[in-house]
Amino acid sequence: MKSIFLGIDVGSVSMNIVAIDDNAEVIFDLYTRTNGQPLEVIKKGLFQLRDVLPSTYKVAGVGTTGSGRQLAGVMVGADIVKNEITAHAMATTFFIPNARTIFEIGGQDSKLIILENGIVTDFAMNTVCAAGTGSFLDHQSERLGVPIEEFGDLALTAKRNVRIAGRCTVFAESDMIAKQQYGFSKPEIINGLCEALVRNYINNLGRGKRLQPPYVFQGGVAANKGIKAAFEREINDKVIVPKYYNVMGAVGVALLAREYIKETGYQSNFRGHEAVELDFEPSAFECSGCSNYCEVIKVEVNNKTVAMWGDRCGKWTNSIGQVG
Amino acid sequence: MKIGIPRALLYYYYSPFWKTFFEELGIEMVISPKTSKAILDKGIKESVPEICVPIKIFNGHVVTLLEKDVDYVLIPRMVSIKKGEFFCPKFMGLPDIVRHSIPNAEDKILYPQIKTNSDNLAKATDILQLAEPLGLSYSELKSALKKAGKEWARFNKICKKGYLIPEANKLMQEKLVKAAPRSGDITIGLLGYVYNVYDEFVSMNVYKRLQDLNVNLVTFEMIRNKDINKYLKKMPKRLFWTFSNKLMGAGHYLNNNPGIDGIIHLSAFVCGPDSMLGQVLESETQKTKKPFMTVRVDEHTGENHLITRIEAFADMIRNSKKKRRWA
Repeated sequence: MKSIFLGIDVGSVSMNIVAIDDNAEVIFDLYTRTNGQPLEVIKKGLFQLRDVLPSTYKVAGVGTTGSGRQLAGVMVGADIVKNEITAHAMATTFFIPNARTIFEIGGQDSKLIILENGIVTDFAMNTVCAAGTGSFLDHQSERLGVPIEEFGDLALTAKRNVRIAGRCTVFAESDMIAKQQYGFSKPEIINGLCEALVRNYINNLGRGKRLQPPYVFQGGVAANKGIKAAFEREINDKVIVPKYYNVMGAVGVALLAREYIKETGYQSNFRGHEAVELDFEPSAFECSGCSNYCEVIKVEVNNKTVAMWGDRCGKWTNSIGQVG
Repeated sequence: MKIGIPRALLYYYYSPFWKTFFEELGIEMVISPKTSKAILDKGIKESVPEICVPIKIFNGHVVTLLEKDVDYVLIPRMVSIKKGEFFCPKFMGLPDIVRHSIPNAEDKILYPQIKTNSDNLAKATDILQLAEPLGLSYSELKSALKKAGKEWARFNKICKKGYLIPEANKLMQEKLVKAAPRSGDITIGLLGYVYNVYDEFVSMNVYKRLQDLNVNLVTFEMIRNKDINKYLKKMPKRLFWTFSNKLMGAGHYLNNNPGIDGIIHLSAFVCGPDSMLGQVLESETQKTKKPFMTVRVDEHTGENHLITRIEAFADMIRNSKKKRRWA
């Protein structure tokens, strides 16, 4: 029996699963859009994994990350539930040990991670606003009628530069419409958009930080060549997009699960591929116990409540026990 | 007679003072409940939209108290507790904000002016003006003030032994208080105004969450005045605001203390004084390479972002201390 370790990253836009073997080689990777149904896609993903893995493999550890890490953790029986920053940094330093700066742009948040000798020394995340993240690009691709997959290549064909205001997505959109009316072509508008996004990112997250090479660019948006080129122009240096750029969070948490299991010698809590067939029913209700009216999330399996969270006082959370 | 005390803004710093004061006078106190969504909503309704969330919360507490049929609500006009330093203008104008934005508040608020030269309000003699509305004598108030000052000093002393304010409040009954035990494996300085740090609603319980992550905390209340002032004396020009200066001095002390593994600045969105303070803390910590992070709080209640940030911050510190990454 060979051991494998799973990493599951449930983000706002995509759900990613990665399996690594004992030597930390990636043997399976999957990037899928959640389309608002994270649990369904986790199930499908795990089935896909089972279908491609030979039966000689055994899941020895599993970790979850991303904004849906808690729910996913309950569902699969995670051994380790980690925040995205730690997971991303782990994966990057595994592939590019001397990396100093990580640009990570996902569906609804963006992160900047600064490393020194493989250790995170500083990080920044976008605050309340989602300007300049993947969701915004998605929205614009729909509006322009250009599939998001073609966005980057098209940007590279721009002949002229056009400056689009990137501070706020609402303003960016009205600015784009105005520039279209001035007669700029679609590639030029898209290129302007890529530059605005990068400018906004560097100004917001990079403010006051010393960015040093090697630079690594990852997250779903790293597929966009236009953004990569805009980053290279902005910092005037080469930007590396790693092979598994769109599943780095999952790779990272798989590596963390591997380290955790190896050091502690624990048996994995993984519920198994079959358990995933159980019906996990997440639901939310407003607790009326006090005037906070917390939105409490409840997960049931076969009508039995297995996890609850979201309450400020812990009344519901503690009624079940530890989550994840 | 019933006096309402809003559980907001400087309540967290001065509650032992006012509690003792009114207890001594035999006046019943009604303290508003902990901040909740309902209280915040009431406050938002009675506030101008652009004002910071701590003031909105304060207004919500005042409305809640007025609904409870109290005779008066106490809203001290905080002007100064140190020579040459002031409070944020919203504190100086707080009684006026309330009078003009909350219906029927005008005749129901007591607003003694606090203009003194010490954190201890015992010598803020304007408080004696309350004798008339309270129907008591000057001398009765004077002795209550003295007792309140003593109790507050005791409270302040307990904080200095390493206790957070809620912990210090619990220890007020004890005769002898030992230095706070430290069981966490890392120590983080948590800098923020008391009404952000200790309001569990707005801070989304950040201090408890950090403690749950096995982190020891140091706040400005725990640091000796001598240590806070050391840095302030060296500054070419101080800030205008007392509590911002305290945080600045505390930040400098923590930044140069090898026992502190990192600093978190908890700040409310649109806070003017913090826009200065935050920048100074950021550039100072860059010089010493002390891990530093700003956590901004506002009306939103999305806890995910907060949890991700503080977890990652603690991970970062632990990982740089030892080689294990899943800590």
